[in-house]
Amino acid sequence: MNPLQKICVNYTFNNVKIECKIIQILGQSMKVVTGVVGNDIHVVANRLIDISLQARGFEVFNLGVNTSLEEFIDAVVETDADILLISSLNGEAEGWCRDLQFLRSEYDLRDVVFVIGGNLAVGEAAQSDIVPKYKSYGFDLVFHQIDLNTGLDEIERFVKERA
Amino acid sequence: MSKLLIDVGSTYFKVCQTSGISQYFRDFKKDIYDDLITKCGNIFANYKKEDIFICSSANGGLSTLIIGLTNSFSLKFAKNIAFNSGINIIDTILYSKIEESRAPSELVDVVIIVGGIDGIGKVFDEKLFYYLKNVQYSNIVYVGTKQDVSFLSAQIPELKVLGNIITEKLHVNGGELKEYLTNLYQADIVGKEDIKHLYEITANQIYSTPYIVNRSLPLIDANFEVVNPFIVVDIGGATTDIHYSRDLVRDNIVSESGYDRLVFKKLGVFKSRETLIFAAKNNEFVYELLSYLNVTENILEEESEKALRILMQLSIFLVLYKVSRLNPLYVTLHLDLLNTIVLTGGITKVLSYEEVEMIMQFFYKKVMNLHATPNIVMDYDYAIWTLGMENNESKEPKCL
Repeated sequence: MNPLQKICVNYTFNNVKIECKIIQILGQSMKVVTGVVGNDIHVVANRLIDISLQARGFEVFNLGVNTSLEEFIDAVVETDADILLISSLNGEAEGWCRDLQFLRSEYDLRDVVFVIGGNLAVGEAAQSDIVPKYKSYGFDLVFHQIDLNTGLDEIERFVKERA
Repeated sequence: MSKLLIDVGSTYFKVCQTSGISQYFRDFKKDIYDDLITKCGNIFANYKKEDIFICSSANGGLSTLIIGLTNSFSLKFAKNIAFNSGINIIDTILYSKIEESRAPSELVDVVIIVGGIDGIGKVFDEKLFYYLKNVQYSNIVYVGTKQDVSFLSAQIPELKVLGNIITEKLHVNGGELKEYLTNLYQADIVGKEDIKHLYEITANQIYSTPYIVNRSLPLIDANFEVVNPFIVVDIGGATTDIHYSRDLVRDNIVSESGYDRLVFKKLGVFKSRETLIFAAKNNEFVYELLSYLNVTENILEEESEKALRILMQLSIFLVLYKVSRLNPLYVTLHLDLLNTIVLTGGITKVLSYEEVEMIMQFFYKKVMNLHATPNIVMDYDYAIWTLGMENNESKEPKCL
């Protein structure tokens, strides 16, 4: 049996029929911790990510803007989350995420998928430079200047393959 | 008929009537009740028991050890609730490092265990029980994920289980724990043999002094020229309490009150003199500060009025240092945003405004790298305490 499945739930709210797709692992909704890293207050993007994740059936723990890397890791531990999705728009992530390997090693987080996306460099930078850099920090998936839905599709595909 | 307000401190009794405040140095050979009756018995005769209100800080508060799953949530939330309940945190243990952590050598009044949102299980395991075997404690409370309750209760029969302080959205929910700790603190005050007898004088509940002071803070601008954000520093004989506007903290915790408090149990100029001197000698700025005050370190060994003044000045410096960004062990206040510092307690009877100003200038220049200092307000007549006592009568707290 595939432990990961996408199920459809239909329900009615104010006489409107709503179809909701829920991503589950062994019958449980997948948990995602998300937020904006560093001194970055791009709250609109953060809300869009939150809404998009919920629409895809994830259980979302949104830490909001101005979040430190340690807070992200701690939230994953407290919630036993499956995915950590960090976003950054002003490029500060490059400095803030260097300690990811160290913080990961503090806890047993082998099953957690680490994702980062947004604008991951200050100024111009090529994908071919940015992606390996962030992977060396310990991220499984890196999306530099990539459309939100494309990134989320990729996360779903990655999680499905891993399961 | 007017009211009589009494504060039982570790060093002085303060008695407030309509005619003014008087204070009496305690006789440590007598118990509190006998001493109070000897000194103020004739005053009590003029009041009914219902009109006498007492608060006490003589026991210095309870101590706690917190064991939590992470720094950013479990430990941060539990620390905030404990501080606000007037509890002194003697240590915090990050659960992932519990095997390397040493158990405290002293008796702990209450151990708090916290971790995980409801819905996740197996957060705690045998490591916790092994560690607790070496801890001497009077109470133990669990405020973590529901899923671990039966496992922990089976192993720790005396465990008190309360609602999880971490909500499903990773926010703090401190109501039950705060109530439990405040009641424990209250029971500790009332349970003290000395304090128990004070109910022969009053028909009203005896409260802790930090609690009373904290209640007066929203009203403080009625009596003083205070601009928010402000802090109130109450330096006494045994303890130092700091009450601060939450605008000075950036920790994403939403709390009901606009003011939090922190109690430093062993930072006082009389009963805790030795620990104050010890803390001073270990501070990197102190020798420079002593030189700035034109004294040498020998002053710390002296028993003189001058030495007392220096100790008072040091205690202001140390308390600000302990909440500054240089000391991450405690709550970090953004002292660069501070507009007013209000000093109350025994310190206002010893130090002049100018002496306090000197210390503030030194602290802001050396530690904060700022030339401007906050406005200093001296509460010479314990008006904050009086305000809190009067305000407390009209608004009985829910949790006490």
